[in-house]
Amino acid sequence: MATELVQTTCGMCYVGCGIQVKVENGVAVSIQGDPNNPQNRGNICAKGQAGIMNLYNPHRIKTPLKRTNPEKGLHVDPGWQEISWDEALDTIASKLRAIRDNPKQLYIQGWEITGDSHLWLHSFASAFGTPHFSNNSSPTCGKVIHPVEFFAAGGFHQQPDLHYSNYCILVGTQFGIAARASFNHILRDMADARARGMKLVVVDPIGSFAGSKADQWVPIRPGTDTAFALSLLHVLVNELGIYDAEFLKHKTNAPYLVGPKGLYARDPSSGKPMVYDAADQHTKTYDDPTLIDPAILGGGEGGRPSFALLKEHVAKYPPEKTEEITTIPAATLRQIAKEFGAAACVGATKIIDGVELPYRPVCVDWAKGSQGHKHGFHQCWPLKLINIVLGAVSVPGGILSTGAAGKKPFHWWPEGGTDGLLEKGGNILPLPHPKAFPGRTPTKPVRNDLGELFPLASHYHTLLPLAAEDRQRYGLTYGIEVMLHTPTNSVLGSFGDLKVVERFYRTIPFIAGFAVEINETNLFDDVVLPFPSYLERFDFNAGTATRQLGPCGQDDWFWQVRQPVVDPAPGLRYPQEIIMEIAERVGILDDFYRLLNHTFRLKEPYALEAGHHYSSTDAIDRMSRCWFGEEHDLKWFQKNGVIRYPKDVEESYIGPFLKARLPIYLEHFLQRGEELKDITGQMGLDWDFSDYTPFSEWMPCPSYDAVRKGDYEFFAVHYKLPYTYGSFGNDNPWIDEICEHNRYAYGVLINENVAKAKGFADGEEVWLESPVCKVRVKLKLSQCVHPQVLGIAGHFGHWAPGMPIAKGKGVNFNSLLPTDLEHIDKISTALDHCVEVKLYK
Amino acid sequence: MTGDIGVRIRFMGDLRAVIESSDLKLALPKGTSVGTLLKSLAQKYGDPFAKWLFTASGELHHSIVIFVNGENIQDIGGLSANLGEQGDQVEIIMLPMFEGG
Repeated sequence: MATELVQTTCGMCYVGCGIQVKVENGVAVSIQGDPNNPQNRGNICAKGQAGIMNLYNPHRIKTPLKRTNPEKGLHVDPGWQEISWDEALDTIASKLRAIRDNPKQLYIQGWEITGDSHLWLHSFASAFGTPHFSNNSSPTCGKVIHPVEFFAAGGFHQQPDLHYSNYCILVGTQFGIAARASFNHILRDMADARARGMKLVVVDPIGSFAGSKADQWVPIRPGTDTAFALSLLHVLVNELGIYDAEFLKHKTNAPYLVGPKGLYARDPSSGKPMVYDAADQHTKTYDDPTLIDPAILGGGEGGRPSFALLKEHVAKYPPEKTEEITTIPAATLRQIAKEFGAAACVGATKIIDGVELPYRPVCVDWAKGSQGHKHGFHQCWPLKLINIVLGAVSVPGGILSTGAAGKKPFHWWPEGGTDGLLEKGGNILPLPHPKAFPGRTPTKPVRNDLGELFPLASHYHTLLPLAAEDRQRYGLTYGIEVMLHTPTNSVLGSFGDLKVVERFYRTIPFIAGFAVEINETNLFDDVVLPFPSYLERFDFNAGTATRQLGPCGQDDWFWQVRQPVVDPAPGLRYPQEIIMEIAERVGILDDFYRLLNHTFRLKEPYALEAGHHYSSTDAIDRMSRCWFGEEHDLKWFQKNGVIRYPKDVEESYIGPFLKARLPIYLEHFLQRGEELKDITGQMGLDWDFSDYTPFSEWMPCPSYDAVRKGDYEFFAVHYKLPYTYGSFGNDNPWIDEICEHNRYAYGVLINENVAKAKGFADGEEVWLESPVCKVRVKLKLSQCVHPQVLGIAGHFGHWAPGMPIAKGKGVNFNSLLPTDLEHIDKISTALDHCVEVKLYK
Repeated sequence: MTGDIGVRIRFMGDLRAVIESSDLKLALPKGTSVGTLLKSLAQKYGDPFAKWLFTASGELHHSIVIFVNGENIQDIGGLSANLGEQGDQVEIIMLPMFEGG
């Protein structure tokens, strides 16, 4: 029997762990973690092990298909007919050529983060000339974290420094326990941190995974994180007097003087923000070389330091007041603030590799749960502010920033810009990073996703269905004519109310998509292209662990590629080659190469040359050699799996080495808000500007008022499971078995006491009704859920016939969500994910 | 600086949505800087093109990438880079922000 162990990269979620696949006589039989990969250190999760069942899924698509039924709908049989690759690509190319003169009529849903496709489609979209490209999928996840992280730390995502942290508060995230990037090694780091005594506090309506394992679970009413954060800040800075004054003075805009209209006091000649130097009692610009002691308290004729204003602002949120909003007892909040402030060790330093660094072993971490709200940006920003006020950003023990900086194989580093503030985030790829500073000047929309009306947001695809409902209202004179998409299941998970989603997809005359199996999105396709499993294909960009969400702190930087462990099923083609062929048929191949060369930093002699044809392995081999030297070609990666570089102290803890200040005051929110008022006024739009404020205020989500008034009894919220990722792999018998075994996965969590008081039994089937949807659900009683909350896990509720294992199981949470502008965060475009619901038999 | 030169300008990425053309040929004084070219284009096309190109404070948006004869202007002097030869080609590209989630 011929047996081999093939090194490659997992593709069962966006992380991309290093794996070794055992192959016997050409059949993949088992998957284990690669012990040499810094991402997972030999670990592998349930999803990763179950990947074999996706590879050998009998319902996979292996031949291009075309629709024969012109009617489209959520439950309409497309009448698939198998066609040749030539016919499929010719059909797609002809549709694209037809809109060549007005390329913005193309929409590409490009989120396929496990491999190269999203970057290749990014270049394809730019070569074609459409602004409608989304390389994200969720209507909430990533909407705030990336824009905040790039202007407040410099990288793509935040990550607690578990190597040194002593006190970690998780808000709306199950980091290190059941979700998030770098999953497999962070689980181990979290366990080690807990073993050495790090306290873990989880603030979350759901206490299932993270909450139940925490030292302290603090149930919070959904959509009230702003009030919690502002109250915690109030206790820290006003009651306890704990903040990092030196950091605030010299590394933030805390000393910038703010005038009566909320704008900085500026130097009349240079226009630069002014500060007051307590050392010589003079007002001067923030970067004046004579500046010694910028004041962060007090104030005079020139204005008041923004930190002084922040102190006053948060004083409006004493714990006794916020208890009514959050349901967190005032005593509990004070206990956490006191412990957290003491653990911060403000003023302490630590020597690492001979370099003395600030040592702040505390952090607040947040993610999806805080983002998905009507006022999502301001749910999250004050949580980040807690870390900044304590100086616990990008230093040992604090909150770190993923992918922010590096020295090998290239040099990339975040930089300052406007008003001396951090503006240019670090990114190994020369692509524009999402950021909320300084934002764009609003204009009347040209884009079908209304991006111009969201000048501080970074992605806008959630608006596409809303604009499509009434394009005239926004002055749009065209619609999306052609859509291309990855295997990502947008219909199920990228929007909300399925009636709105169905109407939007019906407006698009031609849709072509990749498919692993026929999911709910593919049901709207006119042409389907089969997509190889991650175990059958090559990718240079294999997962996000390498460049966006990799290990932080002193863990090694690394790169890996993906290679097939078995021959692709007959009839399959590599996605890179399909995209190149479509580009050639449309007549944009040379421009496409031009943009790929830019994206992947390909220079001579490795750049893709106009007029040439390349296989996907040719292209990846060029990328490998260009980045890592001739000796590290594709064959080297196929044999060795991963290349790793140790990071020095500067790369590990960039905070002290950043030549830019971090914000605590968002002056530009006022400026962009005023500009937007002008534009929406010209358009006659009734717009909500309440989020365009330099400090966060707590404002209720629509569901908060609906429950308070008694119209509905519960908030439904979504939470993640450690053994599923989006709807990836849902049609997998092993994952299905885990979900069946753990009854909360396909069920709905309800507080045990509440359920019993209402006469609901464990396992009972009842109706769950939101303002837009009514579904039959099975209850799972639990003590680990807030009394006013129902918890819905994963991305289930499939109905596509092509997913027989997953069909009819679990709940599609997104379908419960009202999907209109009233439920969209006007800063980030996040769709409100806490929805009012009622339960009845 | 003597006489005019013919310069080809190519628009790629998001900018095509507002320019509605991929190519433009202009006669420009030899030695015109890229910055001057962009300002004249902003004037020619107005908003939203100008707002998509420049920030409120007049900086190029980070999503704009410009090449002159294949060289990124960041490597040849930024907006001060000169257009010096007949047939110079300027590519003005607006890339979508990379994202996640």
